[in-house]
Amino acid sequence: MGLALEFLWVPFLACLVLTGIHVYLGLHVLARGVIFVDLALAQVAALGITVAFLAGHSIQSDAAYWYALAFTVGGALLFSVSRMRRAPIPQEAIIGIVYAVSAAAAVLVVDRAPQGSEHIKQLLVGSILTVTPKEVGALAILYAVVGAIHWAVRRPVLQISFDPEAALREERWVRWWDFLFYASFGLVVTSSVRIAGVLLVFSYLIVPAAAGALLTSSVAGRLLLGWAFGFLVSVVGLTASYLWDLPTGAAVVTTFGASLGAVALGIGTRALVRQVRTRGVKALAGAGMVACLLVALAGGLLLVFPGMDHHWLNWIEEAAPTVELAFLTPRERDTYWESREAIGRGQAELQRLRGIQQEVQWGTRQMGQEQQERLRQFLASRGEISAGDRMVLRTLRGKARERQRYWLGIPLLAAGGLGALLLARARRRA
Amino acid sequence: MAAAPAWGGGPLPVVTTTTDLKALVEAVGGDRVQVDALAPPLADPHAVEVKPGQLVKLKAAALLVRIGLDHEPWLTRVLRSVNDPRFAPGSPHSLDTAKRIQLLQAETPRVRSERGVHVHGFGNTHYWLDPENARPITAAILDALARLAPADRAHFEANRKRFLEQLDAALRRWSQAMAPYRSVRVVVVHETWPYFADRFGLTVVAAVEPTPGVPPSPAYLASLIQKMKEAGVKLLIAEPSANASVVSQVAARSGARVVTLIPSVGGDPEARDYLALFDLNIKRLTEALTAAR
Repeated sequence: MGLALEFLWVPFLACLVLTGIHVYLGLHVLARGVIFVDLALAQVAALGITVAFLAGHSIQSDAAYWYALAFTVGGALLFSVSRMRRAPIPQEAIIGIVYAVSAAAAVLVVDRAPQGSEHIKQLLVGSILTVTPKEVGALAILYAVVGAIHWAVRRPVLQISFDPEAALREERWVRWWDFLFYASFGLVVTSSVRIAGVLLVFSYLIVPAAAGALLTSSVAGRLLLGWAFGFLVSVVGLTASYLWDLPTGAAVVTTFGASLGAVALGIGTRALVRQVRTRGVKALAGAGMVACLLVALAGGLLLVFPGMDHHWLNWIEEAAPTVELAFLTPRERDTYWESREAIGRGQAELQRLRGIQQEVQWGTRQMGQEQQERLRQFLASRGEISAGDRMVLRTLRGKARERQRYWLGIPLLAAGGLGALLLARARRRA
Repeated sequence: MAAAPAWGGGPLPVVTTTTDLKALVEAVGGDRVQVDALAPPLADPHAVEVKPGQLVKLKAAALLVRIGLDHEPWLTRVLRSVNDPRFAPGSPHSLDTAKRIQLLQAETPRVRSERGVHVHGFGNTHYWLDPENARPITAAILDALARLAPADRAHFEANRKRFLEQLDAALRRWSQAMAPYRSVRVVVVHETWPYFADRFGLTVVAAVEPTPGVPPSPAYLASLIQKMKEAGVKLLIAEPSANASVVSQVAARSGARVVTLIPSVGGDPEARDYLALFDLNIKRLTEALTAAR
């Protein structure tokens, strides 16, 4: 696993670089309400690269990068002139239109050069795991420059984002500042998407800024909180990818979602606790009603559709097999335990033999041709037997469900429904 | 009286799903067929978008030739919109060339999904990449064409005979070029090459991206690179659609050399027909193998 850790160092540095600039830009994007502007600009850049490709440049070439940049600046220009004081259409609509049209135009262009379509798709996917130190270094320098420029012009640019009415009254160069903002933003997004992909770039842009906005209202506070949040999520996401063997980019994006959920849950819990302190236990009636209704729904579904997937019941039965065994006859119970044991044994054996097969393939173990073929066939049939055992368990579970539908489904439905009813009445009285 | 064929007296209109099948139909049909391929050469089979003009051609086609198995998930919708009973499976107007092929990686889907790899439910679909498979494929094409245009049977047979003679000569050439590298261990980026490797005696030990489209995890890449170093794997076979940064990282860290092989006719300007496809791939492969030694 040492090598895997070695792998994650450079992606970690890349994540820090992304956090640095994206959280700041994300504050602006969130304040302006132009959430999808990065996706639109990334798509415009991809269109530029597609056109470069058609003009005979390779996708990784400098020329392609300049094409992408030129297209992005064009997009930035469009976004800065489309901002109006009393606009008949919201700017988010224009962003959406630019996204859809440039994505479709790229498809039309790439249709002329079929060999390019896969590459173009990859421009928007990125691969944070295989980013090189050189790429991270170049990004760090570029973003430091962009950051310095934004620091120098922070007063008008922040005012336009956070207090647009005042800016429009006082500032004469609003369109120019807007253009500077979108152009630098486009440059950052175009460069980030190449290495990290749109999903990761979008998450770094929006989620930390959103978390900051949930917790504080000052710009500096949001920035600091956002940076801390981005840093923490990068560490947790990469660690998860390492520990549980997950694709890295997807692991980080999902961690972003889970962390924001945790922040929201924390805020909600805090509000609830405050209410309980002032109003007593009655404050929990709403949440209790929802819980009771969920229980009633689960019971009702079990009663009406015993054959559908009841994951909650599966989880309970995994933790406490008694819940299933109580609904089986003694003979069925014996079969249940036998099958489980057989699966466990078969699994271990399959793993061992597959290991041997791997070693033979890699050349670290010698084995004759005939023996290799016998091993292959044995593995195939052993896998089939395990699959059969699994089917036996599924059939038993189906039988248990048929009995649980009445013995569990009806009581749950009744208890949940009654609980919800009582709570509703208590609320009305209060 | 039998219904007159809709295509009149001109060349027989044929539509294939891939450019490889187009090349093979042209090899058998010669100037008596007019062939169009629906999917571009390097298309992701899950993202093929058919154009209106192609639907028109399919509607007018006398024969539809496909790779079969689950290689063309997009075709079902296309056939539904064309809504022509002629292209139902088993009809003389529909040819599935997988029928006569000895498939590889054809363990039952249940077993494969249990192993966590579920790409091809019925067996690996890249069977045209074994040039020996051109024999059964062209035999099936010959039968189908001759059934639709019986008057041209002799012409088709002569064409196929000529093609197979060229193929035999080429196979001798390719096998000779690859002979010094028998049983060399290679790693592939995607599971595209089992038939090709089988024919030319390469041993594929692992894939960088066992599930296409899902990036490999750090631990998987690390153990792969470790094993590549230990086993002395010197060659990494990529295709043009492979993720360039993943490929170059694996190569740089394992010390293996990357060779990009073309999986389909037309995927590279040099791969203009079926034999040229293998000429190009064998040339690239032997150059890389020589350099990697």
